Amino acid sequence: MRWVWFHKLGSPKWFFFQSKSWVLPLLGLGSIGLIVGLVWGLAFAPADYQQGDTFRIIYIHVPAAMLAQSCYFALGAAGFVYLVWQMKMAPIFIKAIAPIGAVMALIALVTGAIWGKPTWGTWWIWDARLTSVLVLFFLYMGIIALQSAFDDVMLANKATAVVCVVGLINLPIIKYSVVWWNTLHQGATFSLAEKPAMSAEMWLPLLVSVVGFYLFIAGLVLWRMQSEILQREHRSSWVKKEVMDRGL
Amino acid sequence: MTYSSFLQSEFLILWRRKQDVLNALLFFILVVALFPIGVDPSPAFLAPAAGGIIWCAAVLSILMAIEGAFKEDYLDGSLEQLVTSGLSLPLLMLLKVLALWGCVVVPLLLIMPLLSEMLFLPSTVFWVLILTLLLGSPSLFFIGLIGSALTVSLRQGSMLMMLLILPFYFPVIIFATSAVHAAQAGLSYSGSLAMLLAMSLLSLVVSPVMTAIAVKASVN
Amino acid sequence: MQSSASLTISDLWIERGERDLCRGLSFDVRPGEVLRILGGNGTGKSSLLKAIVDVITPIEGTIYYLGKNVTQCRDVLIESTLYIGHAVGVKRLLSVEENLRWYCPDVSSDELNSALEHLGLWPFRDTLVTSLSAGQTKRVALARLWLSEKTLWLLDEPFSSLDAKGCTILENRIQQHVSLGGLVVLTTHQDLRLVSARDVVLLS
Repeated sequence: MRWVWFHKLGSPKWFFFQSKSWVLPLLGLGSIGLIVGLVWGLAFAPADYQQGDTFRIIYIHVPAAMLAQSCYFALGAAGFVYLVWQMKMAPIFIKAIAPIGAVMALIALVTGAIWGKPTWGTWWIWDARLTSVLVLFFLYMGIIALQSAFDDVMLANKATAVVCVVGLINLPIIKYSVVWWNTLHQGATFSLAEKPAMSAEMWLPLLVSVVGFYLFIAGLVLWRMQSEILQREHRSSWVKKEVMDRGL
Repeated sequence: MTYSSFLQSEFLILWRRKQDVLNALLFFILVVALFPIGVDPSPAFLAPAAGGIIWCAAVLSILMAIEGAFKEDYLDGSLEQLVTSGLSLPLLMLLKVLALWGCVVVPLLLIMPLLSEMLFLPSTVFWVLILTLLLGSPSLFFIGLIGSALTVSLRQGSMLMMLLILPFYFPVIIFATSAVHAAQAGLSYSGSLAMLLAMSLLSLVVSPVMTAIAVKASVN
Repeated sequence: MQSSASLTISDLWIERGERDLCRGLSFDVRPGEVLRILGGNGTGKSSLLKAIVDVITPIEGTIYYLGKNVTQCRDVLIESTLYIGHAVGVKRLLSVEENLRWYCPDVSSDELNSALEHLGLWPFRDTLVTSLSAGQTKRVALARLWLSEKTLWLLDEPFSSLDAKGCTILENRIQQHVSLGGLVVLTTHQDLRLVSARDVVLLS
């Protein structure tokens, strides 16, 4: 059966043992990617002819911003999967990934502000991208707040899944509307969107750093999911055995 | 229970709670009054900002009106009766939104001439503002009701509900105020109105189903 | 399963939060029978009723109604079920009559009036429920038993906050219902005086 793996995904036990061997390699590869990409980008890549060394913050800013969005798409997809198939792993995934997405959005906001100071002369500008990341950050915070507000696990699962799906549907609208609003209110300011043909020496470390971020976060999410599984299934015999045999 | 008896009782209860609607309206006027008092009372500031001020105030007061939409039903058990009535829950939710929308938005529109006069909104733009409210507010209600249903079982749910829902209102506010601005600048505003309508229609499709899921999860 | 039973619960397992309730519970209800669910506080009596009307989704177990497996699609069962939960579902801001019209819009005024008279609510028919006592509010909810024509009654603590006279009226009505072949499942701590019931005891 081709769909067997999909149904097995619904079983926390199966997922736990399958994903166990993945965490360390992912975290290791991710850390290597991060270190290589960041050291390369921050220390060895050539400086930008316009912005000098300040541009180097993109090696953190861009991966964080990308992840903040990717995490939200993953959240929305997981919410959909939960509402349609009631898959047990989906809310665990949502719980694991939501704070990470929020942190990524926060990193993107802070690095954006730091970047903005020398480039635009202000810490904050109501730029389309910064604004949409700000909205994204609020969406994440709403989900986290909602999830922690309920005592009942089932209710928390359902509620967050609903918000994730609604958010996923709305995200393109929010993004489009903010971009549209931005072009309406401001002329052509210096935009982060314009890519003045980066040289390979500049974008290669960026690529390495982005891949490193993704791998590291994937490992982190799996790790968080595993501890969440242990917590949720703590009454079942396999968890007791696992904890007794191997410790935490 | 039938759909018509449900709708009838919804209207009856809304009528008996007219003080709540009145409070929301007073709140709306107060928020509008904050701007001339807090920022600048001159027509030079107010006239261009009027659309934005009215929309921000409208969003806040609509949130206030929606926030408690399910509270009473949840506490007295009638939400449970709706779930077990054998009627289609999304359809019931749709009727509920429409009843609530009618009872809140109509009075809101009625005091709009007064407010637009107070904010020096040019009379040519007035009708555009009314149109944006008519086309945009349904999506506010549809989205807001999801949040209201999600947080109904929480004791301190209203703050959380606003935190959850307000980000989703950004696009509506953006397109509504930009339509008003475009009209003020003498530009075409039909695109923004079309977007408002599109968002209301999208939320019309999505929201009743989501609200029904949220209600079912909340009553158990 | 026996074909004579109208409602059969087999191997039901409900969970509330972190607690297991009535794991592996099985029972059936035949036409003309009153089933009384007993058990201490927190043993899941209310949850059991909610699970039958699909307000709570059981983890495991099958529910048969009229010989059909309705676990997945509860429509047939819900259509012929009258459920009165712990919160009775009487709206405070509607009058007694409006509340009943909300629930059973199709009854004639005669039926409505006779039910109200039966329950001693006739003088209050135009009073808002807000200003009624707890016992009277309960009676408003129970008036549905006279007005709707559902076969299966699921009543969560129907006797609570009723006075002795109210209890007698209710027991008579339950007796009348089952004698016509109806089914009643109720939770109570109280002894039934007029109705003979079969007991199911939930253990914690």
